[in-house]
Amino acid sequence: MTQNKVSLSLRKISDSKLVFPIIALALVLIFDLIFVRGFFNIEIRDGNIYGNLIDILRSGSTVILLALGMTLVIATGGVDLSVGAVMAISASVAALMMNPYVMAKELPENLQKLVSDPNFTYAPLWAVLLVTLFISALCGLWNGLLVAYAKIQPMVATLILMIAGRGIAQLITNGIRIQIFYEPYAFIGNGWAVLPFPLYIVVVVFVLLWIFTRKTSIGLFIESVGVNARSSFFSGIDEKKIKLLAYTICGLFAGMAGILASANIKTSDANNIGAALELDAILAVVIGGTLMVGGRFSLFASVIGALVMQATTTSMYAIGVPANAVLTIKGVVVILVLLLYSEQVRNFFRRITSPKKDVAT
Amino acid sequence: MKLNKLFKVFAVVIVLVMMLAACKPAATEAPAATEAPVATEAPVATEAAKVYTYADMTVGFIQTGSEGGWRAANTASFKETAETLGLTLKFYDAQNKLENQVSAFRNFIADPEVNVIVLAALETTGWDDVLKEAQAAGKVVVIEDRRIDASSDLYATYIGADFALEGQNAGIEMCKLLEGSESKNVVELVGNVGSSAAKDRGTGFRETMGQCGITVTQSQTANWSATEGKDVMAAFLKADPNIQGVFAQNDEMGLGAALAIKEAGLVPGVDIKIITVDGTAGAFKGMIAGDLNTVLECNPLLAPQVYEAALKALNGEKLPAWIPSQEGIFYQADAEAIFPSRTY
Repeated sequence: MTQNKVSLSLRKISDSKLVFPIIALALVLIFDLIFVRGFFNIEIRDGNIYGNLIDILRSGSTVILLALGMTLVIATGGVDLSVGAVMAISASVAALMMNPYVMAKELPENLQKLVSDPNFTYAPLWAVLLVTLFISALCGLWNGLLVAYAKIQPMVATLILMIAGRGIAQLITNGIRIQIFYEPYAFIGNGWAVLPFPLYIVVVVFVLLWIFTRKTSIGLFIESVGVNARSSFFSGIDEKKIKLLAYTICGLFAGMAGILASANIKTSDANNIGAALELDAILAVVIGGTLMVGGRFSLFASVIGALVMQATTTSMYAIGVPANAVLTIKGVVVILVLLLYSEQVRNFFRRITSPKKDVAT
Repeated sequence: MKLNKLFKVFAVVIVLVMMLAACKPAATEAPAATEAPVATEAPVATEAAKVYTYADMTVGFIQTGSEGGWRAANTASFKETAETLGLTLKFYDAQNKLENQVSAFRNFIADPEVNVIVLAALETTGWDDVLKEAQAAGKVVVIEDRRIDASSDLYATYIGADFALEGQNAGIEMCKLLEGSESKNVVELVGNVGSSAAKDRGTGFRETMGQCGITVTQSQTANWSATEGKDVMAAFLKADPNIQGVFAQNDEMGLGAALAIKEAGLVPGVDIKIITVDGTAGAFKGMIAGDLNTVLECNPLLAPQVYEAALKALNGEKLPAWIPSQEGIFYQADAEAIFPSRTY
């Protein structure tokens, strides 16, 4: 990967950006090492690498994509609550384009007409992907317009699509869960080529976004808008266009996440796809050290943040935490991680343990 | 005090008027509806002696609103069955609003044509007043799908699913599937924590699984969703691969689990048996593909049972407070043959 370039550029930004997320991830994994037997077992099955660690990467791929888009939005000082709903929209659009026969009549009695041939699709794959991504980018653009031009507070503006989006997704598919049989599409989320296919997508997308933000001045513009929109305006940066861009990219990435998620389970589940994932994505960005008020961001740290979230979930399944304790424990982990690098807490500990100098960095 | 008394008198008058109103259409209907043989008895017969048929029945049905495939099938069932039985159906969609349901209920009480009111309640509580009004007006009330918290004297009967029975049947079916298997380790994919469907299906399963020595080795919520079903199953398989069966509390989670089993290089339906609950089209596709073994139905097609119960109640028969809905068990071998006749 571009490990070298990444770490180099990140060192330029700030060392602590990466250190703490990696410590957090390491803590979760060390916990697994001690308490879950065989958590790190990796074996080859049917020529593919198979194990819990791979699961974390694979299941985490949707949250990683969301977190990447979310990082840009948060860096401008905003937030996008609608990404989960946009995922549902993109999943519904894609499924409908591949199998529009489901909608032949109003009531689902026509579910029988589902074409279950794995080689059948109504629209060709490239068209499905293109239209789906286009529509999700439009969703992002809509958020961007509301935030940048209508000057609605980001949380409120994106809340609109968060609520309406899932409804739109249900309207698109008429409330039916469309099953996806078209194998090439399913491969996107479900396929393996030594490693799970979604991982390759995530890597490519990450590299492209990194080049886009760090090899051009876009990233710098985004950060400056987040730090101080007014002064960046006076220095010639069009704050509105930058925000519009950030939200559009966020929508586009949410659309990609929706494609991965629906391909992974081979259904367009408008009710459940991406449900509450916007919160995971926001937490991932926060764990990655990007401040909610905006400003400096690190894409790689957000990826690590997303992996922390996913590793926590996967470890809980592996340990066998009782179902009704899962959410609470997830919350506890997040709060512990965030406390780990809250400035106040660090100062607090510094004060308490003043004789020991080693805590302070 | 005086006011109170006045009010009581007023109430009695209203009730009397209502009763008269309720009797009137029935009396005029009687000779009209029974033109031929019964006609000779009809003039002398009192109300109780009148035998209602489906043709005399006008049902006011208050649906919750639309929410997905299950509900759509439920509505369609009421409309289609009404047509085939030849009864009159007045359908009201409450758009998921409680106040709409209550006002529709009152409209149906006031409607002289309606003699049966069927309710799929949005809320469990707060129905006592309208139920009393309906009783005073002599309407038969049947509650379907969603149970309500009201004295069972106030309505004819409740018809809905028996989640515990679904769980028990799942246990029995799992026993059949694992017959001859040396170890019988089953993992469970639970629905939303705290929902009655999830709770009762889980307890039901545990009641019957002991008969053949099944143990639930791992159990985790997957929130009715396929994505989580897949993730949870993938983790189960790694934590302890010694798994012979999956009990998924709905179809989606079971289908997700099947995908995870495939990824582990095993064959769902063969190496690991899967039982799910609901009976949606997706589950049938899954059975035809061989991924799912047995599907327990959670039936939305309640109309035939509801209409039958309503007719009995109209004819003065006393019904049990709860009639569990008839639910089928579908097997992999029959899936292909049954599938075309499935409507949801």
